[in-house]
Amino acid sequence: MGIGLKVRRLALLAGMAVCALGLSAAQAAEKHKIFLSMSYIGNDWQAEAANMVKAMAAHKSLADKVDLQVQVAGPNAQRQIQQINAMVQSGAEAIVVYPISPTALNQVVKNACDKGVKVFAYDAEITEPCAYNVHIDQLEAGRVTAEWLVKKLNGNGNIIAITGVPGTSVDDQRTKAAKEVFAKYPDIKIVGEAVGMWSQAVARTELSKILATRNWDDINGLWMQVGCFTANSMQLEAGKKTSELLPCAGEGSNGGRIQMLPEGTEVEGAAPPYAPAGAQRISYASPPYSGALALKLAVEAIEGKDVPKTTILPLPVVTNETIKLCDEGTWAEMKAGCNAFKPSLVSNPGWFASIFSDQTPEVGLAAALVGQPEN
Amino acid sequence: MSSASLSSPGSGGLGLRRALMRNRGALIAAAVLAILLFIVDWISAGPLTYFDVSFLSSGGATSALAAIGQTIVILSGGFDLSAGAVISLVNAVLASSMDPMAPGASIILWTAVGIGVGMAVGAFNGFFIAVLRMQPIVVTLSTMFILQGVTLLVMDKPGGFVSPDLGTFYLGDAITGWLPMPLVVIGVVLLAWFWLKGTRFGMALYAVGSDTESAASVGINVVLVRFAVYVIAGGCYGLAGVFISAQTGSGDPLVGNPLLLSMFAAVVVGGTRLGGGQGGPVGSVFGAYILMIVVNILLVLNVSAYYSTIAEGTILVLAALAGSISHASVLAVQLRAARARLAAWRAGILPSQLERVDRRLKITEPSPGQRSPAAPRPAFHLRNAETLRYALPAYVCLLLIVVVTQIWLGRAILNPGYWNSLLVLSSFLAVLALGQGTVILTGGLDLSVPWTIGISGVVLAGMVNGSDAALVYALPVVLVMACAIGFANGFGIVYLGISPIVMTLATNGILQGCALLYSQGTPAGFSSPMLRWVMTARLAGLLTPIVLLMVVFVVAAVLLLGRTPFGRRVYGIGNGLRAARLSGIGVERTLILVYMLSAVCAAVVGIMLTGFSGQASLGMGDDYLLPSIAVVVVGGALITGGRGHYLGMLGGVLLLTALQMLLAGTTLPYATRAILYGLVVLGAVMALRERRLQ
Repeated sequence: MGIGLKVRRLALLAGMAVCALGLSAAQAAEKHKIFLSMSYIGNDWQAEAANMVKAMAAHKSLADKVDLQVQVAGPNAQRQIQQINAMVQSGAEAIVVYPISPTALNQVVKNACDKGVKVFAYDAEITEPCAYNVHIDQLEAGRVTAEWLVKKLNGNGNIIAITGVPGTSVDDQRTKAAKEVFAKYPDIKIVGEAVGMWSQAVARTELSKILATRNWDDINGLWMQVGCFTANSMQLEAGKKTSELLPCAGEGSNGGRIQMLPEGTEVEGAAPPYAPAGAQRISYASPPYSGALALKLAVEAIEGKDVPKTTILPLPVVTNETIKLCDEGTWAEMKAGCNAFKPSLVSNPGWFASIFSDQTPEVGLAAALVGQPEN
Repeated sequence: MSSASLSSPGSGGLGLRRALMRNRGALIAAAVLAILLFIVDWISAGPLTYFDVSFLSSGGATSALAAIGQTIVILSGGFDLSAGAVISLVNAVLASSMDPMAPGASIILWTAVGIGVGMAVGAFNGFFIAVLRMQPIVVTLSTMFILQGVTLLVMDKPGGFVSPDLGTFYLGDAITGWLPMPLVVIGVVLLAWFWLKGTRFGMALYAVGSDTESAASVGINVVLVRFAVYVIAGGCYGLAGVFISAQTGSGDPLVGNPLLLSMFAAVVVGGTRLGGGQGGPVGSVFGAYILMIVVNILLVLNVSAYYSTIAEGTILVLAALAGSISHASVLAVQLRAARARLAAWRAGILPSQLERVDRRLKITEPSPGQRSPAAPRPAFHLRNAETLRYALPAYVCLLLIVVVTQIWLGRAILNPGYWNSLLVLSSFLAVLALGQGTVILTGGLDLSVPWTIGISGVVLAGMVNGSDAALVYALPVVLVMACAIGFANGFGIVYLGISPIVMTLATNGILQGCALLYSQGTPAGFSSPMLRWVMTARLAGLLTPIVLLMVVFVVAAVLLLGRTPFGRRVYGIGNGLRAARLSGIGVERTLILVYMLSAVCAAVVGIMLTGFSGQASLGMGDDYLLPSIAVVVVGGALITGGRGHYLGMLGGVLLLTALQMLLAGTTLPYATRAILYGLVVLGAVMALRERRLQ
């Protein structure tokens, strides 16, 4: 009895899932079956990247060719291994994956490759040679931002460093490269260092802890992987004027970008601290479009085109000299050089603004926000 | 269930029936797994081949091996939070010490190294828990932090090399085409367990888990049994670490950490009761595979990403429910009770329908003014001796940390900014400690805290969107939503008989899905100026408004737990469910209220974090789960319930926050900080040791 009930319930669940999503496996027979294995979806970056992948799959150039199924592995590498195996078993032609670990997936990825499945990793790297990787050069990211900060401080000053998730290659590479730069300037001192977990909320807590025993006046600059928006907000709360904001090398959140605009700029929907403040910034990011690009490359690879194993994306860097507000955020507009979005369009300041790529005219702001492709 | 080796083999049908009853948990878990396998086979395109079985068996093996170890600890009445960290450490040790130039590696040697590392950690845990009689949860939590630091020292980023020989051996076939090696490894471990269970040690293990004092009084060496349990469990985690190294062929210092929560779910789904004495590792193995196969079910059903955590949570609850279907299950008992109540109501004999007259026995009536002036009230420190003994260590350590901060960093004791920051940063955990603490006082645990925080913040920010006026209706809406979440938790635990860990873990997943669906992945809106003012302003340049509110909150919390009927019921339930029920406490109603309180506290933290950060982010509650448990235990509460005082928990909050502020002010590497943090927590709770058993 219990068993019958359970089967019925699960069948019902299955029915609901199929109905709710309006999916029909039958009609996808001639399309390329491609899976997306995501990591943890509980943060802005991951959700944005997923939206862009979905938008790419829905774009008219790919919609007839691709049957995309999205699965989530959570933070657990073991589950992602299982998931990729299951994807291979159910006949995937390509798997686009946000790898939870650069090394733990090697065996399963090799196994997938052996069966002719193309595996594309975006943002982070898979070290197995048969995998395709699409990401930025994290060493360059660390170096460029550190060099910018050193230059702003004329090689002299106390800085605070907020790093990412310890034990990941991305954090390791960025932090090491930055520290190598700082080490060349004996007058640059790192007086405080904390783990920021790539989260504005954590960055705020950690900065508050550091500032409990220090003053803003003792600090000359900030090097953060994520958190410049928050750091600027905290300085304004502490009574600093916008002209006194410390130079901050950090992430490409839209809130941070809006703060970079000269003070007094008219921006629709802006309210402090999510408002122009003329903050001295270099803004970089792992761009969330990398998944969408990986999907596009995966289709090309399935169709027999020659795709390089490693695609190093250009590092999206925006400084006060290059910051420019978008009007609507279409791809064409971004192509013309805009790189920040109005708060009336993007109400979340932690949202990542580095969504433009030459190579992905299929996706613009609407893709990143709601998964809708460009025309 | 401790009579495993006592059952007489000769009693035929009766013996079989008894054996079935005894292993009900494991059998039901096996049945659920079979059904899920059948479903996968039924709805996926091709038939289930040996290949699939082989994949599935290796996919779940790490969790299964670790779950076996965790089960043994739980059977003995313990709790081990260091399991995931041990797996990471073994992985890092193997990957960094194998020589890539010499690909031929001895499987026996490296397996022994892995198990040895695990056992060494187990001995460390065992020493503090068994010999020094400290609470398992806080010892293993400290060990977890220490190990995470040590792992990062061994290997600071993913990489390294694990010989393919290991992979070939552990992932290959024992009998080609018939029997995958992972199943053999698990089988061997289970056989070893069956042997162990039959020995005097096995009996002693169940006895200690069922009732420590009885076990001690019949002459069992409780210290030795407990110590051995952690060493054996460490060996299992070590083997799991070896297996994951073989499976991945390399090292990743973070690989094991996320396995921890699913390990507990596997144990509970497999029919082992938290608190000890009942269940066994076989069920946990099935439990681990049930959780693993859910991945495949989600894939074949093509459940969209945002729905996946909801589906997982639902499956977890259904599996737990299926595991409890029987005449004696809580659900059945509650249904019978409801029927009886209905019948009584029809007959007009419900207590509430009877005439209100005093039916108390006359002999128990206390004579008025019995307390004679000859026997004065004992002094304050005597009346509250126990509370003081358990609450004071946290404050003493806090003082030490503040002094060290002053000496090391300067600007602490005389710096009002330091104290203000300490109190503001403590406020989040102080609120959580009331909710989580009350749940722990009743002997439960609330794992749905992270996403209750997340969804509350996201919903609030979305509704408020920078307008103070909107707070008037947004705050009640969020708090009512939290009440509903807490009610759902409490209902599942009380009326459906699902264990608190599984129920709240499932709720957490469902809430995560809901938060993602509500926000479409990007939380909109931001905090209103008023809320931000409360969390970040400085009155007279010194004091943040939230600090004043915290004073009110602390007073209210102390009164709630210490001076109200609700508080006394909470302690009553924690000290003995049966006694509480017999003395007329509405256990069901009280437990549901307790979980509602916890959810409301989490929601308040979500609101506070939104004010503090100015916006809400999805995963903002993730970092608060383990600390919320840690502060309660560091503050002197007993994880099994019944003992603890809110002021003690508050001391725990202040201590851990002050410690983090000290560490943040230094430029020590993260690995060193993690180790120091673990050591200080361990040292702080040394004073909380149980007194020697008489």
